[in-house]
Amino acid sequence: MSSIKRRIFLCLVGLLAGLAAWPAAEITLLFQADFPSYLVFSIFLGAVFGIFIGAFFGSGDGVIMSHRRSIVTGVARGVFIGALGGAAGFFIGQAALFLTGEYLIHSMKRFSTVGMPVSRAIGWAVLGLFAGMVDGVRSRSGNKIRVGIIGGISGGFLGGLALEYFRTAYPETVFARLLGLLIFGLFIGLFYGFVEVRLSYGVLTLLNGRFKGREFLINQKKLRIGALEKNDIKLEGYHDVSDCHALVSVKKDDVFISPVADGRLLVNDDPVNEHMLKYEDVIKIGSAKLLYQYK
Amino acid sequence: MITGKVNIVSAALIALLASWASAHAESVRISQIDPSMLLFKQNVKVYVSVTDKVGAPVKSIGKEKFTVFESADGHAFKRIPAIKDFQTMANYEAGINFLLLIDNSGSMYLDMKQRLTRNPANMKFSHAKAAISTFLKSMTNPKDRVGLASYNSYYESFSDPVSDKEKLEGLLGHIRMPVGDEGHTEIYASLCRAVDEFRSVKGRKAILILSDGENRPYYKYAGKPHRDFGTKIYSYTEPIRDCQQEGISVFAINFGRGGERKDAHLKDIALNTGGALFDAGDGGELARVYSKIVGQILNEYLITYSATMDPADRKYVKIKYASGNGPIEAVRFYFSSTVFGLPLQWFSYLLLLPFIVALLLLWLLSRIRFERKKGAASIEVLNPGPARAVTKAFKLNKGHTIIGSSRSANMTIMSGLTQIKEKHATITFDSKKKRYTIVGDGDFKVNNKRVKTKVLESGDLINVGGATIVFDDGEVD
Repeated sequence: MSSIKRRIFLCLVGLLAGLAAWPAAEITLLFQADFPSYLVFSIFLGAVFGIFIGAFFGSGDGVIMSHRRSIVTGVARGVFIGALGGAAGFFIGQAALFLTGEYLIHSMKRFSTVGMPVSRAIGWAVLGLFAGMVDGVRSRSGNKIRVGIIGGISGGFLGGLALEYFRTAYPETVFARLLGLLIFGLFIGLFYGFVEVRLSYGVLTLLNGRFKGREFLINQKKLRIGALEKNDIKLEGYHDVSDCHALVSVKKDDVFISPVADGRLLVNDDPVNEHMLKYEDVIKIGSAKLLYQYK
Repeated sequence: MITGKVNIVSAALIALLASWASAHAESVRISQIDPSMLLFKQNVKVYVSVTDKVGAPVKSIGKEKFTVFESADGHAFKRIPAIKDFQTMANYEAGINFLLLIDNSGSMYLDMKQRLTRNPANMKFSHAKAAISTFLKSMTNPKDRVGLASYNSYYESFSDPVSDKEKLEGLLGHIRMPVGDEGHTEIYASLCRAVDEFRSVKGRKAILILSDGENRPYYKYAGKPHRDFGTKIYSYTEPIRDCQQEGISVFAINFGRGGERKDAHLKDIALNTGGALFDAGDGGELARVYSKIVGQILNEYLITYSATMDPADRKYVKIKYASGNGPIEAVRFYFSSTVFGLPLQWFSYLLLLPFIVALLLLWLLSRIRFERKKGAASIEVLNPGPARAVTKAFKLNKGHTIIGSSRSANMTIMSGLTQIKEKHATITFDSKKKRYTIVGDGDFKVNNKRVKTKVLESGDLINVGGATIVFDDGEVD
């Protein structure tokens, strides 16, 4: 899948995350008055919301790569991290909202049209931060977490603003929050995809075979390439690819590739042990050929 | 000279204070709400001030005299079952924020008996400055902060509340005499502006307004729309409403010694906001104002209660005080919105539908694999680079395939930074060995290596003049 398709997929996954989280959030909101405190309510609502957002965003990489196992592990970890992140995000977001809201409600005449949307958008930005981090925490990648934080905050803030203004413009519409959540998810996906490419160390593009044109972003310090599902880059349908064939590693912004165990690895038709990749190097792993580029 | 006058006026004002203590009802006021512990402890703190019929603080009131109510809409109030904590003198440590709002209309440049004078020392404005100076010196709490603004036809701010009293005294010299149509007296509008500027300041707040006349709106008396307020004429009820909403007390000083027409509603504004009106002004008077405010704060009651969980963007708090003459109340609101906002008014099982749709669509997305099927051998431009690719892709012949800049080439790549020959490279098919070989007349690379000829493998990357071309044998297994 090309990077454009990948971004479109991320946006779609974000949209679906918003769509799935909406009913859960609405049902929880209906019971607000039954909660003992704002603390319990915020944590519970955040955890419920985070479970759905985390599960969907967690499945994103697996969905994009069509890896069933990655989807399952992504969802499982996404649920866990999403619940924690959502609870923390809602708690911090609510604290930020109370703080800014109480300040702005007394200092702004146009509170309902400016103060409230901005206050809530700050809360959404914090929530977006945690939603964006899910995949980075899942893959234990600092760079991915950084991508998620930037993408999540930007998407969360802009999505939150869009949500609030839509609600202000159409107060009678019961689907205002649904639309807002779709925008929220879409923006996180959009910004994540945008920042992901900007902050990646390069991209590997398959040049032949069944999945020719598929792109793999080098967005973490270590990437394993092989035939098995557990690898970050799974080369499915290619000859002579070992279970775990090669390792891409990033050292001080330079990208290296090395064979794992006795895997035969060629770069520009020459066998290598450890090789620092340069622009337009062609890597051969089994029958698969991968082009290294950076953007 | 001024000092002498100040002393005379001061003595007279002790008597006048008694006249201020005229008959008006006992009142309760919420001066501040602190919801900062709402999220962590569910607590809301309410600072309540109770003044008696002469405006003096009512001391030693028991907790049982207060009842707390909360409402999500400002109409239907729910009684809070218990007050969690009850204290007095809780606010003194934080200091007070004052805003000095000084009349700078034309009449302030007459003498104390409303006569024209050329001697600045005799002008009321000079007396007012001396009085303010005394007021600033009388402040005993270093945490107190003072801001400065003036008004005539226009409101002008000179300083937000600051601790540096000397700096503030210096700023008094920046207030200039009004000219032209600046000399009107927009009291009510200026008070509203002062409240606006004071909104963002946290803590206990008081406005001290010095006035020597009545409200004379610009639009009404100049017959032209006001620069800031247009044709709007402010009523005295507007600053009362704004001050009550923000918990700001107004202390009004009618400045001068007779002859002036006093504003009819300044007293209402002061009393309805928990402040007081003083009917003459000098330094001693203002020092008493300070003691009065401090006294009031020292006797404020701090009520802590557990907030309700009813959904609302703002919650209204009502404090009911059982006074000797029956219950009296005060209402104020605090921010209580949640990140998600208010819940829907209905529930339907159809709410679950979006979740099912989302799951279904995610499953469908995961089924999209973008797999290629077996096809013919081909070359395809991956990135034209500095060159211009006239042909983007080409299915390879069984014979010769020419790559070059000629229009007759099978794949035409026009020169960019690097010269591309008309027949730059040729790919030939060996039907016996079933393989393709590239041979070049010009300079080119395969897999980032400069070569003259190479047997091509699927996925080999050919670079011609900066354009990258992928060779694909069409196999997928």
